[in-house]
Amino acid sequence: MALNPKNKGLEMKKILLVLSLLLPISMFAADKTNLTVKGSDTMVILAQRWAEIYMTARPDVTVSVTGGGSGVGIAALQNGTTDIANSSRPMKSSEREKLKQRYNSLGVEVKVAKDGLSVYLNDANPVQELSLDQLKGIYTGMITNWKALGGKDEKIIVYGRENSSGTYVYFKDNVLGGEDFAPLVQTLPGTAAVVNAVTKDVNGIGYGGAAYAKGIKYCLVKKDAKSTAYEPTEANVKSGDYPISRYLYMYLRARPTGELQKYVDWILSPEGQAVVAKVGYFPVR
Amino acid sequence: MKTCFRVAAAALVIGYALFTKSAIAADTNEEAIVALKGQIAGMEEQMLANQPVLDGLAKIKLTGYIQSQFQIADTDGAAGFSGGNFPAGNHQRFLIRRGRLKVNYVNNLTQYVLQFDVTQGGVAIKDAYLSYNFPWDKKAWTITAGGFDRPFGFEISYSSSNRESPERSRMYQVLFPGERDLGLKFDYAPDSGPMKFLRAKVGAFNGMGVTAVENDNNKDIIGRLGVALPFYDQNMALDAGVSMYMGKVRNGDKYQYAVEGTPKKWMVDSTSTNKNMYYDRNYMGFDAQFYADMPVIGGLSLRMEFISGDQPSLNGSNTFYIYTTPATGVSPLTTGVYQRKFSGYYVNYVQNIGLMDQFVLKYDSFDPNTDVEGDDIGLTNANVRVDNFTSADVQWTTLGFGWVHHMDGNVKLVIYYDMPTNENVSSTLLVGSLLPFKEDIKDNVLTVRMQYKF
Repeated sequence: MALNPKNKGLEMKKILLVLSLLLPISMFAADKTNLTVKGSDTMVILAQRWAEIYMTARPDVTVSVTGGGSGVGIAALQNGTTDIANSSRPMKSSEREKLKQRYNSLGVEVKVAKDGLSVYLNDANPVQELSLDQLKGIYTGMITNWKALGGKDEKIIVYGRENSSGTYVYFKDNVLGGEDFAPLVQTLPGTAAVVNAVTKDVNGIGYGGAAYAKGIKYCLVKKDAKSTAYEPTEANVKSGDYPISRYLYMYLRARPTGELQKYVDWILSPEGQAVVAKVGYFPVR
Repeated sequence: MKTCFRVAAAALVIGYALFTKSAIAADTNEEAIVALKGQIAGMEEQMLANQPVLDGLAKIKLTGYIQSQFQIADTDGAAGFSGGNFPAGNHQRFLIRRGRLKVNYVNNLTQYVLQFDVTQGGVAIKDAYLSYNFPWDKKAWTITAGGFDRPFGFEISYSSSNRESPERSRMYQVLFPGERDLGLKFDYAPDSGPMKFLRAKVGAFNGMGVTAVENDNNKDIIGRLGVALPFYDQNMALDAGVSMYMGKVRNGDKYQYAVEGTPKKWMVDSTSTNKNMYYDRNYMGFDAQFYADMPVIGGLSLRMEFISGDQPSLNGSNTFYIYTTPATGVSPLTTGVYQRKFSGYYVNYVQNIGLMDQFVLKYDSFDPNTDVEGDDIGLTNANVRVDNFTSADVQWTTLGFGWVHHMDGNVKLVIYYDMPTNENVSSTLLVGSLLPFKEDIKDNVLTVRMQYKF
C-alpha cells in the first residue's frame, strides 16, 4: 500500500526520533586519568622522566609516553589518538589547518624546554668546530672529506634522521636553508641511534638533542667562518650565541582542562622544569 | 712425593684443559662477532641498495574515502540538492555518494595528483593536475595546471570528506557544478614574513567544468584574495576573502531574453547579430570563517558566504548556459540565452562536543532570478498565463541540522536533516510543472551517512 505524503512525513519523524536516541550519550567525557603523550624522539627521555615522576606523586593518573617523531605526534593529535603531541619544531600552518578542519581549533602550543641542537662527532675526530655553511656543505653532499674541514683524509660518514622527525625538519630549515639532504645521508630511527652510530664511527657526524650526547663529543658551531664557535651549553643557548637553538613544544588540541591542565601546569612548574635541566635540556622558566 | 707429583700433574692437566676451553670460547666468540659484523654490514649494504626504492615509494601517497548513505525523503520522486533527485515512485534509497581514491606523488617541489570517484553511477575523474612550488620567496608561489577546484570562495575547496553537512549549499551546486574546471592557477601563500596572513589565488579556465569540451576562445578568470588571521593566544582564527568570477558564454541562437515589462516576463530580442554573441557570466563573492575554542565543550566554527552576479542560462534551468553538448562540443543549441541576476548565501555553524561529536546547523538561500518574486511567477489574466517564468526562477531556502559522530580516526557517522523551502508562486490556475510550487513542496530529506577515510 502506498503511503500518502502525510504518512511519509510521520514515518521520517519516527526514524529521526530513533536515530536521535541512538546518538552518543556521553557528550561530555569524564575527566581523564589516562593521558597519552606521543611525538618527538628528541623529547622521549624528557617526557618519560616527567611521566615517571608525575605518576609517583599521582598514582591515580597514568601517563603513557611513546616516540615516533614530531610529525607522528602531530598526526596523532589530529586523528584523536593522543592528548599531547611532543614536537621539536613548531607546528606547520598546514598541520594547524587540519586541526582547524576537524576540531575548529588551531591547537594550543606550550613551550616546555629549550635545546641547543647539537652536532655530534666521534671523540677521535680531530675536527673541533664547524660553521653553519660547512654543516650545510656536509649534509647537502658538497663536502665529502674531512680533509676539507681540517681533519684526516677520510670520507665523511653522514648520519641523520627520517623525515617524520622534528629535528630533521628543524635542521633542514635552519641549517640547510630548506635545501634537501644529500642521498648519502644515512637516516636512522631516533637520536639515540644517531649517537650510537657516531660513537662507533671515527668518521661519523650526526645531529640531535643535547640530552643524548653520551660517548661522543659536541662539535662547536659558529654562524660563519669569522664568528666564534660555541658549545651548546645552557648559557650559550640562552644568550643566543649558539646558532642553532630551538624550543621544544607540547601541542594540545584545545585549551587544557582537568587532569590534562594539571599535568601541563606541573611540567611548567619549578619541579617539572628541574627535570628539564636534569635530563640535559634547558628550562624555559 | 709421589702423591705431590700426581697432584701437580692433575692440576696441570685441569689448568691446560681450562685454558684450552677458554681459548676455544674466546675464539668462538670472536668468530661469532666477526660473523655478526659481516651480517650487519651485509644488511647495511642491502638497506643502502633498497633505500632509493623506499624513498621513491615514500613519495607516493594514496588517500581516499567512501561515503555510503541511506536517505529517506518526504515524497516519492522528491527533487533536490541533497544528493540528487529521488527516482519517480521512490522515496528511500541507499547510495554510494562518493567513492574517492587519490594518488599523490610529491617530489620535493613538484606534485602529481589524480583522483577518481567510483560510485554506482560508474567511474569519473575528479582531479588530474600537476603543480610546481617555486623555490624562491620561501616557496610561497605555486603553479597548478590540469583539472582541479575552481579558486572561488570557501566551500568549493572544503573537502566533502571534512564537510559536516552532507552536501554543499544549493548556490554552489548551481553555480559551480562539479566544483572543478580545466585551467591554470597561481597560488600565493607565504608561510612566514610580513605577508604570511595573505592567501591569494587566481587562474584562467575553460569555464565548462572538468569533463566538458571547451567551445569558445574566451577563458574565464577566477580568483580569491583572502586573509588568514590566527590568534594563537586566544586559540581563535578569522579567515576571510573576496572572490570573483569573470567569464563569458556564447549564444548558440539569435534569441536573447531579459526580464522586462509590467507584469514582468521574459522579453525576447531576436536581432540576428545575437547569434554567437558573448554574455557575461560574472560572480562576486565574500566569505568569512570564524573559529573559537570553547573551554570544556570544544571548538566552534561559524562560516558564511555571499555570492551575487549574472548568470546567462536557459528558460528551464538556472545553471550556466552551454551552447554545445558538454561531452562532445558539437550540436549547438537552438535556444537563446536567458539573462538572470542571482544572489545567494549560507551560514554554517559547527559546535564540537568533546572529542568525538559535532553538532551542525546550516541555513542557505539561493535566489536564481532577483528580478522576479514568487508573485510574478504564474500570473494569469482571464485564465491565461501572462508570464513565461519557470521553476528555475523560484527562490529556495534550506534549513539543515545534524550530528556527526567520529567513531575513530577513520570512520564517522553523519545524521542530517534537510528542510528546503521554496518560494510560493502566485496563481491558483496553474497546471503542469509550476503546480507544486503553489505551496511548500514536501521534499525534506533525512540522510544517514557512514564515511571511511584514510
